[in-house]
Amino acid sequence: MNNLKQLLFLSALILLVSCAIKEENPRWVINEVMVDNQTGFMDNYGQRNGWIEIFNNTYKTQDLGGRYLTDDPNNPKKYPIPRGDVLTKIPPRQHALFWADNEPFNGTFHVNFKLDSSKDNYIALYENDGKTLLDEIVIPAGLPADKTYGYPADGVKYDQNGNTLATQLERITPSSNNAILEENPKVVSLQKNDPIGVTITITSMLVVFLGLILLYLIFKAIGNTAKNISQRRIASAGTLSAVRGESQLTGEVLAAISAAIHELNQDVHDVESTILTISEVRRKYSPWNSKFYALRQEPRK
Amino acid sequence: MNTLLTLGDNLKTFWDYTGMANATFGHIIMILVGLFFIYLAISKEYEPLLLIPIGFGILIGNIPFNEAAGLQVGIYEEGSVFNILYQGVVQGWYPPLIFMGIGAMTDFSSLIANPKLFLIGAACQFGIFGAYIAALMWGFAPNEAGSIGIIGGADGPTAIFLTSKLAPQLLGAVAISAYSYMALVPVIQPPFMKLLTTKKERVIKMKTPRVVSQTEKILFPIVGLLLTTFLVPSGLPLLGMLFFGNLLKESGVTRRLAETARGPLIDTITILLGLTVGASTQATTFLRPESIKIFVIGAFSFVVATCAGILFVKFFNLFLKKDNKINPLIGNSGVSAVPDSARISQIVGLEYDNTNYLLMHAMGPNVAGVIGSAVAAGIMLGFLY
Repeated sequence: MNNLKQLLFLSALILLVSCAIKEENPRWVINEVMVDNQTGFMDNYGQRNGWIEIFNNTYKTQDLGGRYLTDDPNNPKKYPIPRGDVLTKIPPRQHALFWADNEPFNGTFHVNFKLDSSKDNYIALYENDGKTLLDEIVIPAGLPADKTYGYPADGVKYDQNGNTLATQLERITPSSNNAILEENPKVVSLQKNDPIGVTITITSMLVVFLGLILLYLIFKAIGNTAKNISQRRIASAGTLSAVRGESQLTGEVLAAISAAIHELNQDVHDVESTILTISEVRRKYSPWNSKFYALRQEPRK
Repeated sequence: MNTLLTLGDNLKTFWDYTGMANATFGHIIMILVGLFFIYLAISKEYEPLLLIPIGFGILIGNIPFNEAAGLQVGIYEEGSVFNILYQGVVQGWYPPLIFMGIGAMTDFSSLIANPKLFLIGAACQFGIFGAYIAALMWGFAPNEAGSIGIIGGADGPTAIFLTSKLAPQLLGAVAISAYSYMALVPVIQPPFMKLLTTKKERVIKMKTPRVVSQTEKILFPIVGLLLTTFLVPSGLPLLGMLFFGNLLKESGVTRRLAETARGPLIDTITILLGLTVGASTQATTFLRPESIKIFVIGAFSFVVATCAGILFVKFFNLFLKKDNKINPLIGNSGVSAVPDSARISQIVGLEYDNTNYLLMHAMGPNVAGVIGSAVAAGIMLGFLY
C-alpha cells in the first residue's frame, strides 16, 4: 500500500513539474513579419508594403474576424479585423497575410498602420474583447530591407528551455510555411539514424513494457487492498464464506464442500409430504388428468 | 441502314461500359480471392463475421467498369456511395468505434485478478517491431514499415487506424493481411506452441483466478485510460474508446448504452468496415509486388508475436514460485486476436490434459494484447507521423 502511495505521489509530482516548466505556443502566432518591402511580394493593388503573417497554430479552423491587430501597446484595439469575411476563417495550420500599408479601406487584410524599420516595431494580436493578448512580437530596429523576422518553424515560439526562437529568417515565405516540408522530418531522421529499426524497436518495447508494468503494479496493489478489505468484511460477518476467505482451498473444493453441507442441512424429507424419489409411485387413474386425451392421434399408415 | 449503324454504335458503347470489356487478369484474380474468403468463412467458419463482409467487399471492389467514364461507382471515385462509406476507414473513425464495442463486450476480470498477465501482452508486441525491422530491410520506408509491422499486433482496427495515418496507399493490403491472418490464427499458432513447449510445461495447471470486485472492475478502465494515454497520448482514439466502452459495461448503470455499443453499433461498423476494406482491394491499386511482400511480412509478424509470447512465459516462469507458474500455452494469446488466440490456448491445452481449462487464464494476456497493440500503435504514430 505504501508502495502504491509512493508511486502515485511520484507520478503526480512528475506531472506537475512537467506542466509547470512547459512553455506553450499560443493558438495564433505572429509568424513572420517584413518591415521594409523594397523588391518583394506585391499586394493586389501592385504596391509593396511591409506585411504581417499570422499562423493558425491549431488543428482546427479558427476565425480571425473580430480580433484586433495593433502596433501600439497602449491601443490594443487599433485595427479591428472585420467580421463576416469568409477569408478570415483560417484552416488548421494555415496562414493569413496582412499588409501594413495604412490603407484599411483597401480590404480586410490591409491594416491602419505602417511599420518603420528605423525603430523597434511592436506588433500584437488581441482577442475579441480587446484585452486578452493572443500573441505579440517585437521586431528589432534595423531589420534590413526585404528581410523578414519571425520563427524558423511555423508556430514554434519557444525552445525546450522556454527561450524565444524569434530571429531574422533566411527565406522569405509570405503565406506559406517558414520551414518547407518536403518530407516528414521524423521519417528522414529515422532513415538516416536508424536504418534497420533496432533503436525504435528497443525504445518502443521499453515504452510498451513500462506502460503495462505500471498497470501491473497498480492493479496488483489494488487487488491486494481489495482482498484485504473483503477478507475483513467476511470475517466480521462470521458466515460460511469466512472459511473461504481464510482458507487456501480452491473454488471447486469449496463449492463441493458447500454443496455437501447444503444437502445435509436440507435432508429432512422424511417429515415432508412430497418427496423426490426414484421409487415407483402408484396413482389412481383418472381421465381428467390423462394427457393422452389431449394429444392428437398419430396417423396410421 | 442508318438505324443499323446507330444500333451498332449503341451496342458498342454498351459493350465498352460492361464488366467484360473492362476486365483484366487482376480483376479475375481478386474475384477468386474474394470467393476464397467467402469459402473460408462459410465452410471452415474462419472469422465469418469478418471474412464474409471482406470477401464480398472484394467482389464489389473488383467488378470491372469503365473508370474513364466517371460513373462515380468505384470506391476511389469521390462522391460515390462506396467512397462515402470508405471515409470511415480513410479518416480512421471506424476503428475507435469498434474499440468501444470491444471494450463494452470484454471482461477484464481475469487480467485484474492476475495482473502479471499484462506482461505477456507486452511481450507479444515484439511481433510488431520484428515485422517493422523486416519491412525496413525489405526496402519499405519507415512510415510504411510501421503500418506493415502493426499487422503483428493481430488487431484489425488498430492496423487500419495506423495505416490510414502513416501509409494510406497500403491500407487495402495491410487490412486484408491483418484480417486474413487473424482468421488463420488456428492454423498459424498451434505448431509453434507445440514446438516451443515441453510436455511437462503444457500440463501446468494454473491457480484459479480470484473473484474480482465490482470496484476493481470500475477502476480498471479509469486507471487504464489515465495511465496509458498519459504515457502515449497518440493512442488516445483507440485506448480512449476501448476504456470508455469498458466503463459503460462495468459501471452497472449504463446497461442500455453498453448493449448498444457491443451489439448494434459494433455490428454496423463491422459490416461497413469489412465491406469497404474488401472493396478497397480494387485490382488496379491492390495487385502490386508490395502487396505480396506485405502478406509475407504479415505472416512473419504473427509467428514472431506467438513465439515471443510463449518464450516470455517460459522465461517468466523461472522467477515464479512452483505453485504459481504460468502455462506457456497461454503465451500465444498475448496477440490481440480476441478471443480466437485464447481459444487456441484452450484447445491445445485440452489435447494434453483434458481437465486443464486454460481459456479464462488465456483471456488475461489476450485482452492485455489489445491494450498493448493500441499502445504500440500510439508509439508508432508518435515516432512516424
